[in-house]
Amino acid sequence: MELFLQSIANGLVQGGFFALFAVGLVLIFGVMGVVNFAHGELVMVGAFTIWLLHAQYGLGYIPAIAVAIVLVTVIGLVMERLLFRPTRADPLAGLICSIGILFILQVIAALIGGDGPSKQVPPPYQGTLVMFESLRIPYQRVFSLAISVAALVSLWFFLTRTRYGWALRAVALDREAAELQGINTNRISMVAIGVGTALAGLAGGLIAPLTNINPHMGHNVIVTAFIVTIVGGVGSLSGAVLAAILYAVFHTLITVYFGATIATISGLVLMVVVLIVKPTGLMGVRVSE
Amino acid sequence: MSSKGGFTMPKLAIGAVALIALLATPHFLGFHHQDLLIFLTINVLAVCSYRLVTLTGEWSLIHAVMMGVGAYTVALSVNHFDLAIWFTLPLAGTAAGLIAALLCFPLLRMTQFYFLIGSFAAGEAIRLTWVEFVGVFGGTSGLRGVEAPVVWGIDFLDPIPYFYFTLVVVGICLLILYRIEHSRIGLTLHAIHWKAPLAESVGVNAWRYRALAFILGSFFVGIAGGLKVHYLGSVTPNQFTIGFMVFILIWVIVGGYNKFYGPVIGVVVLTIFDESIRSFEVIRPAIYGGMLILSILFLPMGLESIPAKLKSWFGSDSASDEQALSDQ
Amino acid sequence: MPVLEINNVTKKFGGLMALDDVSFQVEEGEIRGLIGPNGAGKSTMFKNIAGFYSPSSGDIRYQGQSIAGRKPHNIAEMGVVRTFQETTLFQELSVFENVLVGCHIRSRSNLFAAILGLDRGLQREAEEKVAEVLDFMGLGERREQLASELPLGSQRALAIAIALASEPKLLLMDEPFAGMNPEETNHMMELTRKVQESGISIVLVEHDMKAVMGLCGYLTVLNFGQLLAEGTPEEIRHNERVIEAYLGGAG
Ligand SMILES: Nc1ncnc2c1ncn2[C@@H]1O[C@H](COP(=O)(O)OP(=O)(O)O)[C@@H](O)[C@H]1O
Ligand SMILES: [Mg+2]
Repeated sequence: MELFLQSIANGLVQGGFFALFAVGLVLIFGVMGVVNFAHGELVMVGAFTIWLLHAQYGLGYIPAIAVAIVLVTVIGLVMERLLFRPTRADPLAGLICSIGILFILQVIAALIGGDGPSKQVPPPYQGTLVMFESLRIPYQRVFSLAISVAALVSLWFFLTRTRYGWALRAVALDREAAELQGINTNRISMVAIGVGTALAGLAGGLIAPLTNINPHMGHNVIVTAFIVTIVGGVGSLSGAVLAAILYAVFHTLITVYFGATIATISGLVLMVVVLIVKPTGLMGVRVSE
Repeated sequence: MSSKGGFTMPKLAIGAVALIALLATPHFLGFHHQDLLIFLTINVLAVCSYRLVTLTGEWSLIHAVMMGVGAYTVALSVNHFDLAIWFTLPLAGTAAGLIAALLCFPLLRMTQFYFLIGSFAAGEAIRLTWVEFVGVFGGTSGLRGVEAPVVWGIDFLDPIPYFYFTLVVVGICLLILYRIEHSRIGLTLHAIHWKAPLAESVGVNAWRYRALAFILGSFFVGIAGGLKVHYLGSVTPNQFTIGFMVFILIWVIVGGYNKFYGPVIGVVVLTIFDESIRSFEVIRPAIYGGMLILSILFLPMGLESIPAKLKSWFGSDSASDEQALSDQ
Repeated sequence: MPVLEINNVTKKFGGLMALDDVSFQVEEGEIRGLIGPNGAGKSTMFKNIAGFYSPSSGDIRYQGQSIAGRKPHNIAEMGVVRTFQETTLFQELSVFENVLVGCHIRSRSNLFAAILGLDRGLQREAEEKVAEVLDFMGLGERREQLASELPLGSQRALAIAIALASEPKLLLMDEPFAGMNPEETNHMMELTRKVQESGISIVLVEHDMKAVMGLCGYLTVLNFGQLLAEGTPEEIRHNERVIEAYLGGAG
């Protein structure tokens, strides 16, 4: 029982982190129609930035996160401007381009990090929060969860309360109609990828002290993001958040009792089942033919 | 679209010269390059079978894993039952085809993005099964000690005879793939790609044809996987990751997927290119990534389209050239 | 027995009633006009008949057999084939190949025959059928051209040729005259009559009143998803409710 509760608590923390990059992926797909395969690598770049600036050069953790966010966002904006915009007519082309970027980012990380084992970043926040006597959550995880929640809430405000947020949702709903209404869809695409990649940078910053950092860590991230996106319903942000939390708890529990590989296999099978039974996911709506 | 397969004298002559060159090649190569030539031949089958799957317009991400299914089938059947290569290869194809047939039920309910992601998920689940069930599949280190076949007293551990064998098997498979594409079945697959509702309105069961393409593509790539493990003697889950899948995609796209021979050009040119940048081991993936992007942006029809492009750029008599072509 | 019976068919899209309890019958061998203002539900009716949608409620019978909810390819095999409202062709294929796809039902080759080349007989038969259909539709000269290169009138003719190659007994034509000049319209009317004379029943959705009045013996009028009126062209021309619907709907 103790183990069970502890796993759920860990799962929730993980869920906040999953939600950050899954939401970014959904935003980019919703607005631009591109499956950004390099999204996991963006998280990796964020984490690498923390390792380089904070662990190697002693920059403060928070400023390092800020740099990570800016750096990843700039990469995202460049991708949109140079790759996704020119290939807008063909969604497959955008996806292939993002695979190209994925390789390039991995190589850059490998060059900067050098060969050798995965890197670790010592947690900037030491100590552990103890609740109900036996439930222990390290402060680093508490921090991560708090920032994730804050970021998601801000995103929600941005999307529902601002002019840009409104326009962004309009483009996601129907690009052509939005264009007819005079919305500058290219600019909105920049906003969408900017926000989406900024969240990926933040996610990388938050995960850095909690995981092993290496150039290939993006793979697990993108697998998770796909599962979460599909289970939540493609194009649904609230679905992605809900699915991220549910999947994180599910994954943590299965990992504890059966091991990580079985957990991932179950997640993938779950995703295929969702695709069969309810292709629109938990919260998604699909416009009929 | 489907160029009529008329064999003219010059075509035959070029074919004969190419064949002789191909047969002679391994004798001029070192051991390392002989290996490479065999893997290249196997990868040609991987890309051509992938193209069959994409004919209906759906891009799957499970093809590499299907190659793995073939490879594991061969490894298991050799290690446990000591089956001869005549049986293991068809078995490899059949196993991959069967798994594809089962996967049709969930996967073919989806199209485009959903199919892409669904096929990725299904493939990754299969691959992780190899990692997880150590007892059967050997886990991360995979299955080893698959003995090289000896056929009619010829030891296939030797690259040259195995290259010839591979060439024959791949040649037969390519011939079958070519005939399928240029038959009514191929036409129907194209039709489903361009306008599925129109095809359905005249009685085409689009689901069945998509399933057929998927199963056949998997069958042939299963054979490719079998050929690989017979030569390598071992198989691991890491040989069939999304990374290898991406290579298949790159070969097909850079070569050009509108023509049967486009992917072949892609895999041959890029393998040679790859050899020439071996010394840049670390940055090799980035060079690939950059090339992939450049080809998408500037050569969306692939290398295969270059001759036609050149023709339209140079010479005002290109019109008469085209005339001559269409007269054939 | 009527060739097609529509019995109380309703089709809802969310809250929208695209078809609302519609019933009518089409007799063997006739050209039935199905008319009504834009958005009346005509194309939706065709999609329900041809299996692209299944009705929310109600039944559709073809030659006495219920076909509601079946798959498009099954319905096509039974002999009901639709054409599409916007010109829908395999643009990247040649005229010949377009019609060859249409021959799918009557001459489909299996995998092994295709690989081994044992389907030559079938193939020749199919090619003869294609030639026959192309001549019938006046496209014989254009067989090697790409579908996308044809002028509008020929594209429309090709769309019908693809349908005819599948040897339908009931043909559903969705606005085949849209955008045609008077000459092309006359030509297409002739072709449509020829199709009817070859023994195929036709339901024609069309806005071109000259064509409808010239071709159809009987008309069914839809408005806002409901059956508004039925009658001979003469009766419909003078029907108050029909006139009102068309005038109210801005033509
Ligand atoms: N797939 C669909 N989803 C939602 N509404 C639809 C769909 N198809 C048609 N409609 C609606 O149904 C009504 C009838 O459309 P349609 O059958 O195309 O009309 P017509 O062919 O008579 O002009 C219209 O209001 C149209 O917007
Ligand atoms: Mg209509």
